[in-house]
Amino acid sequence: MTKLLEIHDLHARIAGGRDILKGIDLTVAPGEVHAIMGPNGAGKSTLSSVLAGKPGYEVTGGSALYDGRDLLNLAADERARAGLFLAFQYPVEIPGVNNMYFLRAALNAVRRERGAPELDASQFLKAVKEKLALLDIGDDLLRRAVNVGFSGGEKKRNEIFQMAMLEPRLAILDETDSGLDIDALRVVSNGVNRLRDPQRSIVMITHYQRLLDYIEPDYVHVLSEGRIVASGDKSLAADLERRGYAHLVSAA
Amino acid sequence: MTPLAEAAPHLDAFRAHPGIEGEPGRLTLDRTEALRRFAELGYPSRRQEAWRFTNLRPLTAVPILPAPALAGGLDPERLAPLLAAGPTHRLVLVNGRLAPELSRIGVLPPGVWLGSTAEAARRRPDLLETAFGDSDASGAQPFASLNAAFYTDGFVLVLEPGAVLAEPVEIIHIADAERPGAFHLRNLVVAGAGSRATVIETASGTGDAWTNAVTSATVGADAVLRHVKIQNEAPEALHTSVIRAVVSAGGRYDSFTLTLGALLSRQDLHIALTGPGAALALRGAYLLRDAQEATFAPFVEHQAPDCRTEEVLKGVMADCAHGVFLGTIAVRPGADGTLARQTNRNLLLSPQAWVDTKPALEILADDVKCSHGATVGSLDEAALFYLQARGLDPATARHLLIEAFAAEVIDAADPGEVPRALLRRHLDAWLDERRISL
Repeated sequence: MTKLLEIHDLHARIAGGRDILKGIDLTVAPGEVHAIMGPNGAGKSTLSSVLAGKPGYEVTGGSALYDGRDLLNLAADERARAGLFLAFQYPVEIPGVNNMYFLRAALNAVRRERGAPELDASQFLKAVKEKLALLDIGDDLLRRAVNVGFSGGEKKRNEIFQMAMLEPRLAILDETDSGLDIDALRVVSNGVNRLRDPQRSIVMITHYQRLLDYIEPDYVHVLSEGRIVASGDKSLAADLERRGYAHLVSAA
Repeated sequence: MTPLAEAAPHLDAFRAHPGIEGEPGRLTLDRTEALRRFAELGYPSRRQEAWRFTNLRPLTAVPILPAPALAGGLDPERLAPLLAAGPTHRLVLVNGRLAPELSRIGVLPPGVWLGSTAEAARRRPDLLETAFGDSDASGAQPFASLNAAFYTDGFVLVLEPGAVLAEPVEIIHIADAERPGAFHLRNLVVAGAGSRATVIETASGTGDAWTNAVTSATVGADAVLRHVKIQNEAPEALHTSVIRAVVSAGGRYDSFTLTLGALLSRQDLHIALTGPGAALALRGAYLLRDAQEATFAPFVEHQAPDCRTEEVLKGVMADCAHGVFLGTIAVRPGADGTLARQTNRNLLLSPQAWVDTKPALEILADDVKCSHGATVGSLDEAALFYLQARGLDPATARHLLIEAFAAEVIDAADPGEVPRALLRRHLDAWLDERRISL
């Protein structure tokens, strides 16, 4: 099977600092769900930032191919239009920018790239209603400014809603479970599960095994000190829950 | 140069200046007095605190003398893009003079007088004599004195007590300068007790004209005056404006100023809240690019108890543009119960853009709640990345954030639907024209 994402020996750092990623190898095929776990400071957020193209990071070695293209050579917006989606750990509040207006602009940018016709206001509204029903979330967030005054749970729901609208081929969920109570976690996880698709790959980055009870991964990787030190199926996560990271970290 | 030497070319021009045909002798005497005052003052100088940040060279290097009326009239097509969408009472002034063929005043309710200043000078000189009086001679604003000497026209709106004007009054100034010259506009609004009106002023044009306007407004007890000013003049134009407003007990003056045009512009406001419970909302935005410079200098005086001021100015500066905010709120002795907030927020879009901001409070009363603050920043990098991570290209992402920053102050204002739509139209056009370059 052709791979959607192929990361080879990736080294990266915050501009001017020391390497945080010290040789990541990871391969994701279409439809697969991967979980990347690891202790604080392992490099989880750096990995998601580098893959999404966040400014302020430098790749110092290695490669990342997305659908056969050199991902690291694309600007953040080009990656997004090519079908890569980052669900932010801390979604950004943008006062004065209406959530619906923003999302329609984003969706039409993505659609233009795919050669699909842009949606007018009524077509867009119809699509919004379908996705809201699919995810079982209300429309109360849509009339407000992007993430402004949203609770932690609302922000994460909004991320998953955006993912549903933009229909990415590769979704990176960065600590999507952080800051969620058990009810919010269930809503968000159900949303992600409904977006699972044989053509859509998901990389979940998380500190806790809890999320994996709701979204079952095909593969689990342990990231420690900038390298993947263990990989396995979901039983690896259960093992981590029992034994912690310490034995893997010291082995690395 | 001495003030008198600076004034000499203006004195010569004054001898040839006809004033308003048929104006009463009293107004002509006022003009002479105002010119004498200018000869005492001379041009403002950067040594004066109020002018310290303003580049006065374009206005003072060579004397800019009154320009003639536009020969042949204005192509009506030029007017279309400036018109508010909705019913208004419209006066169009071209090169500082009423253009009757472009103006259209609908049926006015009883107790409302609306017309050009020239018409008022001939038919209702009583309206002007009390209002214009010696205020320009006693003030210390040289350009206002020049205006008082040379004004050719403007608009006059008078509402008797209780009169309500449902449709906005729309004043469009068009400067069409083939060569440098000054247009001096003199405006008057008197809103009697309990009256209501909305005035929209739009300034536009071509060429390097200097538009110099003075507006006097009186807001009577419990009256409401909304005043929207859109300055969208030619990129090489000069624009100075003084607004003096007095607000009586329970009255409300709601002002919005959008500054987009002119190489150099300066808006001075002197607003006095003279009766208990008077309220002022002073909002505006300036969006500047290239080498544009704009100064916004409101001076607000709380003279009576329980008055309120809400002042919010936002600036966007691109390229090597320069914004200046000089805001003072003075709370006089006895003005207890004052509630005043003053905010100036600025967005710098390039390393060469700059802003001078000086919000100030002078409080001489007890029991007041006053706050002021200024911010200067650049576009939020985290927000830019968030938008781009959803597929928006960098130019669109920047555009969206700049629009959000500037539109917020329009959304927070209460100018009425027709003025709001017009403000948005000017703002959107400005943003669209500069979509790539920002």
